[in-house]
Amino acid sequence: MATNGESSRVAVPSYSGKGKLWIGLLVALMVAGLAAWGYQLTTGLIATGMRNVFSWGLYIMMFVLFVGLSAGGLIISSAPKFFHSHRYEGFARLGVLVSLACIIVAGLLILPDIGRPGRIYQFFTSPDFRSPMVWDFGIVLLYGVLNLWYLWLLTRRDLAARGSRLALGVTDTEAGRERDRTLMFWTAALALPTAVALHSVTGWIFATQIGRGDWFSPLVAPVFIAKALVSGLGLLLVVSVLADRFTNFEVDREELTSLGKILGIFLAFHVVYLLAAERLPHAWADHFEFWAITSSFLVGESVYFWLWTVVGGAVPLAMLAIPSLRKRVSVIFTASVLAVVGTMFEGIRLVFTGYEVANIDAAPGISLGGEYTGITTDIWATAGVYTPTLIEIAVTLGIIAFGALIVTLGLKYVPIQRVDAQQSYATDGGKQD
Amino acid sequence: MTNYGLVIDQERCIGCQACAVSCKQENNVPMGQFWNRVLTEGGEKMDTPSGGYPEDGGSGSLDMQYQPTACQHCENAPCVKVCPVNATYTRDDGIVEIDYDKCIGCRYCMAACPYNARVFNWDEPEHMPEAGTGDVEARPQGVVEKCTFCSHRVEDGLDPACVVNCPADARIFGDLDDETSTVSKYINEYETDQLLEDRGTKPKTHYISGEMSPGRPQTSDKLESELDDVSPWSDGTDDLPSEAADTADGGSGGGHHSIEGDEVPHVPSVKSGGDD
Repeated sequence: MATNGESSRVAVPSYSGKGKLWIGLLVALMVAGLAAWGYQLTTGLIATGMRNVFSWGLYIMMFVLFVGLSAGGLIISSAPKFFHSHRYEGFARLGVLVSLACIIVAGLLILPDIGRPGRIYQFFTSPDFRSPMVWDFGIVLLYGVLNLWYLWLLTRRDLAARGSRLALGVTDTEAGRERDRTLMFWTAALALPTAVALHSVTGWIFATQIGRGDWFSPLVAPVFIAKALVSGLGLLLVVSVLADRFTNFEVDREELTSLGKILGIFLAFHVVYLLAAERLPHAWADHFEFWAITSSFLVGESVYFWLWTVVGGAVPLAMLAIPSLRKRVSVIFTASVLAVVGTMFEGIRLVFTGYEVANIDAAPGISLGGEYTGITTDIWATAGVYTPTLIEIAVTLGIIAFGALIVTLGLKYVPIQRVDAQQSYATDGGKQD
Repeated sequence: MTNYGLVIDQERCIGCQACAVSCKQENNVPMGQFWNRVLTEGGEKMDTPSGGYPEDGGSGSLDMQYQPTACQHCENAPCVKVCPVNATYTRDDGIVEIDYDKCIGCRYCMAACPYNARVFNWDEPEHMPEAGTGDVEARPQGVVEKCTFCSHRVEDGLDPACVVNCPADARIFGDLDDETSTVSKYINEYETDQLLEDRGTKPKTHYISGEMSPGRPQTSDKLESELDDVSPWSDGTDDLPSEAADTADGGSGGGHHSIEGDEVPHVPSVKSGGDD
């Protein structure tokens, strides 16, 4: 198992045939994504499913998802450090690696969304500090840098001990390790408020807008924090179980179960409590009869709502709540996958609620700005509809593949596990191959 | 300070689409896009009323009104506040405008605008005629564009194209900060609404409905402030609502009650070149 190094271990000493195939797949997806982006750059965003009424689509939906996903790792690794606890130590480095990959994916997803990506430098030369997007741009950059620094700080002494050039000249000394522990505390102290700010600011991009239905709600920022906790922790558990299964990375079974329980608590807070808190006042104010209020409160308006609350909420919550189930790795894994998928649909639903209905929907409506054929007069719409195109899906998958590649390379080049970590669960759900 | 605004008299509007079309021509608005739209408040489709015909001697409930809709040039413009790179900004004269060289095409402004007044160039814009009029800045693929109150005309002392070309005199452009301007007077004297007032955007486009105003007859395509005698028909008492309503009811010409015999008709003069 542990091939070398006294205090640390890399998850993948060298890539096997399967590993190379995996990397090949990721590279192929990235190449396809780049090609699709190139096509989109030449034809314009007409290549997407977005139009004038529904003017943000898959890129922004996935941006919202990946900002949320980037929360889990950093919080799980920095929260215990901040309280001088060694709890979940085994997840710390992998967590920060996953966070870093996710925030890079989120940042990159903005590039294909904007019409003139060559002008993105305007964020530096001509920013308007009233714009929540400027706040978000700043906080995403800061968060990305913080993740990179934290991952390096967590591993640099081990990198030095292994003679890796990634140590950047740092040497492995006891005094140095001692100093790093202090630095880790202060980094954790900075990382936690930064994470809170990141998710709140991303929420405020939507929550400040008076023109887009349910977006304008003070609850959006807390909801973004909650969904970041749910999806971020969910993704960390998914990646940990996969890494345990396919690499030398070992998950502490007890900690995994414990994190599974925490995921259940996050889910209950997010999908049950916050959602109820958001819906009840509207349902109550809009209806008169008891059952009308109740059904308006309980019954969602779109398929995305049900995919989120049932498939991504109630089902994983039940799985993590039933004592006989929640200790199984396969159950934790499935519940985590569902939590991530559910959060994805929550983001999709959020964008839909903003664009589906136009505030002023009198005929003929709003000009769509689609390809003008000269024959049809059907350039108008009174409501927003959206289906992503294959181009959008290819670009998005390419960027996500890049994130997966970062994690995959990290497993080889970064000592992702401290060796004093305990036994692997290995026997139960995750059969080693 | 100048603070330009627009009054649209919905009682005068006849739904002819002239403002929408002249806007499109004047500003080289790309095919498939509109900066200025004439919406029908009424039935499901354009130019259809809501309600039903009178039956068996009853009184019908047919109802229809036109709502010309473009950028409202809000005072508290959400699009200006969300633009991350200051590409959308409020000019000193109150016009909300876009710097097309700065716009990164993020479309946050389109999310912010409750009126859906903005359009995005999803592909390379196509114009008719191909070269455009040459009077306005060209907008490339990948940027957002919208009504500018024809700032290029306003700077030359001319009314916006939609105002000049309204055959019903239903559109009045002017300085909201000038108490003697027609727009200011009408906002004071008539019942006016702003679109989606509850959103707090403070639009500078005001809609008259209920009682018909005398409009503002176009004696030339000049701005009101550029006219020699401020306005040939507003010499104090003429534009009082009561009197205006009287004449509007009786007259067949749409209430140009105060234009004296030899006044120029409201068709803009043609000497300004073939571009409008």
